[in-house]
Amino acid sequence: MAEVRGGPVPYIYVCTRMRVRKSKLIPREEYLRMLNMGLSEITRFIEETQYKKEIDELATVFHGIDLIEIALSWNLAKEYQNIQKITPGTLKDLTRAYLRRWDIQNILTIIRGKLHNERPGKIKEVLVPAGELDKAFLDRMIEEPTPERIIESLKGKAEYPLLSRLFEGGVREELLPKAENELYKQFYADLIAMARSGIKGGRQFLNYITFDIDITNIRNMFRFRADQSSEDITIAIIPDGTIPPHEIKRIMQIRDQNEFIDELVRLVRVRVLLDLLETLRKEKSIREIEIDLIKVQLAEMETMSKLHPFSIHPILAYLEMKKYEIFNLRALARGKESNLSSDRIKGYLVM
Amino acid sequence: MADAATAVATTEMTVEMIKASQIGMKALGASIAVGSTGIATGLAEMAIGSAAVGATAENKDVFGLVLLLTVIPETIVIFGLVVALLLLF
Repeated sequence: MAEVRGGPVPYIYVCTRMRVRKSKLIPREEYLRMLNMGLSEITRFIEETQYKKEIDELATVFHGIDLIEIALSWNLAKEYQNIQKITPGTLKDLTRAYLRRWDIQNILTIIRGKLHNERPGKIKEVLVPAGELDKAFLDRMIEEPTPERIIESLKGKAEYPLLSRLFEGGVREELLPKAENELYKQFYADLIAMARSGIKGGRQFLNYITFDIDITNIRNMFRFRADQSSEDITIAIIPDGTIPPHEIKRIMQIRDQNEFIDELVRLVRVRVLLDLLETLRKEKSIREIEIDLIKVQLAEMETMSKLHPFSIHPILAYLEMKKYEIFNLRALARGKESNLSSDRIKGYLVM
Repeated sequence: MADAATAVATTEMTVEMIKASQIGMKALGASIAVGSTGIATGLAEMAIGSAAVGATAENKDVFGLVLLLTVIPETIVIFGLVVALLLLF
């Protein structure tokens, strides 16, 4: 297809659509209402929103939590595919590259499923075909008899060289975390290279990716601290953020929480993150810290999309907000299914 | 020599010629007024129109409102037209 031209018009068009879609996302008050509902009421509530088509289609085959889970995954995949279709010019390339993270997640899910001898139908239920690998390709991957054949089927894709090198001696469960880390490192390196290639809108994209890397690295730092892991954190650290990996390694040696935060504050440049770090001085669970980091990330994305209203930022902000809406609904449904208290479920929601 | 030529040219300008020249300048002014405001309106409506189409694609209920917002820059070209008419009549 020829490149879409026409000055700023296609950008304005798409960014406005993203803004309207963002305004249709479920607001905080509705989540609070849903906390007091049962699973069937939540299903009915979701059916009245933009998930109606998926719920109606799947209601004859699935019930209860399965229905909600699959309908949400389908909706997310459909939404992301649709966004890729309507984005113009270089924004399409940037959006596609960003959504490749779903390919990584899908590939790892299929390999894990195969290693645990899960049936294809069960693996298929948890996949989100939102990236470059479409539904048909993922179906073919699931049908492969062994994990090695799954990797072979990826020939020609960006993930293949790394996976074939890592699993040269056969696919083993203990290699999967390393593969996951390496794939995400490669993913971010590719995004940074793309943003720095001189592509139109690359500078704004680079700003967000750097921020995303910082958030991911900080999350990993707190996870390692919470686990009191003796592993070297550099395996999980993504380079090219604003905090250099050697500094991360250094401050991870600090045991005292206040001292650790002091050092981290010295390295972080983003204002919203600084404010958040100050609140982390008091004891908080890793789940609370992760939710706080997500909230800060979304707030910063919102700010970025207001500063650059017709750039990649409004699209990325919507992609992320939609993702967390799905996470919230899934957490609500799973929590209700497991008879968790409303307060406990509330702790898992990003509102 | 040059002064002499200018003097000859000046003396050759008749009242009719000056009047015609004035009418021409007025027409030129009117055309600039309408043309430049037309371009400005087009530029403004380009951005508003594309946003309006985007918003309508997502929510058909806003069509009436965005149509109104899209034509607001028409006022610019109307000002230009008024100035042009004042110049000409």
